[in-house]
Amino acid sequence: MSFFSIEDLHINLGEFYLREVFFGLAKGDYMMIIGPTGAGKTILLESIVGFWKPDRGRIILDGRNITHELPEKRNIGIVYQDYALLPHFSVYDNIAYGLKKKGRNNLKSHVLEVADALHIGHLLHRKPATLSGGEQQRAAVARALVVEPKLLLMDEPLSALDPQTRRETRRLLRQAVRKRDTTVIHISHDLNDAWALANKIAIFKEGLLLQFGTLEEVFSRPKTRFIADFVGASIFHGTARHNGQDACSIDCGDFELTSIDKVGNGAEVQVALRPENIIISKDRPEDTTDANIVGGKLEDIVAEGRARFLTLKVGTTELSVLVTNNAWEHLDVAPGDNVYAIIDHSHVRIV
Amino acid sequence: MRKISLFQGTITGITFCITFLLVLAIGSLFMVPSWEDIRQNIWSPEMRFSLKLSLITGLVATVLVMSCALPVGYALSRLHFWGKGFVKTVIDMPIAFPELVLGLCLLLLFGSTAVGNVFKSIGLNFVFTKKGIVAAQFFTALPYAIRIMKSTFDYINPRLEFVSRSLGYSMSETFRNVSLPLAKNGIMAATVISFARCIGTFGTVLILAGGSYMKTEILPITLYLNISYGNMGMALTSGIVLMAVSFAAIFVFEKAEVGL
Repeated sequence: MSFFSIEDLHINLGEFYLREVFFGLAKGDYMMIIGPTGAGKTILLESIVGFWKPDRGRIILDGRNITHELPEKRNIGIVYQDYALLPHFSVYDNIAYGLKKKGRNNLKSHVLEVADALHIGHLLHRKPATLSGGEQQRAAVARALVVEPKLLLMDEPLSALDPQTRRETRRLLRQAVRKRDTTVIHISHDLNDAWALANKIAIFKEGLLLQFGTLEEVFSRPKTRFIADFVGASIFHGTARHNGQDACSIDCGDFELTSIDKVGNGAEVQVALRPENIIISKDRPEDTTDANIVGGKLEDIVAEGRARFLTLKVGTTELSVLVTNNAWEHLDVAPGDNVYAIIDHSHVRIV
Repeated sequence: MRKISLFQGTITGITFCITFLLVLAIGSLFMVPSWEDIRQNIWSPEMRFSLKLSLITGLVATVLVMSCALPVGYALSRLHFWGKGFVKTVIDMPIAFPELVLGLCLLLLFGSTAVGNVFKSIGLNFVFTKKGIVAAQFFTALPYAIRIMKSTFDYINPRLEFVSRSLGYSMSETFRNVSLPLAKNGIMAATVISFARCIGTFGTVLILAGGSYMKTEILPITLYLNISYGNMGMALTSGIVLMAVSFAAIFVFEKAEVGL
């Protein structure tokens, strides 16, 4: 039984809506919600915390149906992208605000402990308006965590931060929630947040939950082209030609791939490939026992941070390939060159 | 030197023309025969009565206005309820009404209707009484105060209240701890504007409370009665006192608005 679950949630706020949302989380799970703008992500969080009443469905937290409970009775914390720190309170008073209501003893020691964990212990006397974005965000996280909520909801908490502050805040956030074994639902547009923090991921689009599962399931086996595009995978149609003992062969039209996934002969399938699981070589490798070799033309190269994204055209099919900058320096290829993609059988995922 | 376009010159010119006309109009109030007369008029029994009654009724009405404007403004800003659009329209209507019409409506309501009789039975007779002045001022100023309070609460990020609720505070506790402190500039502005509207209300007071000499006589009534008698000195003095109150109100409002 899940520690937290959403069962058949429907909510219609006119412009924004959610339909048939089901998922469950275990205690300590960190779930990342990803989806385009208008997918209903924020409504989901605000419904969970109790600000919108669902038209249908149930919200269960720690064995209790909280669907119709008042927000103040749910023990669910929320952190917003714009921090929502109370501007007329100091940082200390902001963090202590929830504790005061709960009548906790040793208020100061609780505040200091969480503030030190998030590296804002020296800012407690300051007003929120005098803090940087990263400091305000950590104060907002501290305020939510200090009351030890059963569930912590975060709506794009890192998106307004510069890359370096975001990395640091991610690290502190991960330590703080792991230490308390807090169950978290976090909305983000950045896949790096998912890689760094989450063990579960949900993809939303137009009010529907398209796919929910572990990072491995969703990133490696995206159910639709939309999800594949969103999580940066390549997906294409194929027909299973024959079944071997440990592998099957899939005719993808422009090329054939071998996968260790099992599928019936003649079955029409979708094949997914992760860009980081494809190796590029200028020359055709000789030992190909466990790997597929696909020849194609290098179409495009886009530098993104410490890696490059290559587009490889194989007939009419495009494969996305991620190459680290270090590997790229040794590759010595340019757009228009014929290259080979090496894909391990275990990395060809049938969806 | 920066070049000014024809459009910039035109709109600046219109602004200065209007300001000049207003300054002339206000200034003409101070072109009094003698400041000694003004001093004597201020200390006359009629003026002292009028000023005292204006301040007392204005203060009582302002307290009542703000007591209603705060919850109504908050409800209109934060709650979603059936008929909200209709409620907003009705509450705003007195702003567009001529004051005389509003006064007539109140006179009919508090006259011999069932509602009027209920109020009379608990000692609240509003027709041609000092209580009527407060009622007239209340209904004239209330829509302005509600508008300001609604805008003030609209301006406050509702997520601050959401977070407070999620931390265990009820809606009323959140209103007290978060919304009210953050609305303090708006409350100040609404209070000042309400007081100025109450002090300056004429038509509604005249119809509901009557314009009785030294009975239901507030500053605008003093001005009106003395103009009728041809006593320009007293009329000008009332005008100057009303102007001073309005100026102070606008000054405080501007200060509060800057802080909003």
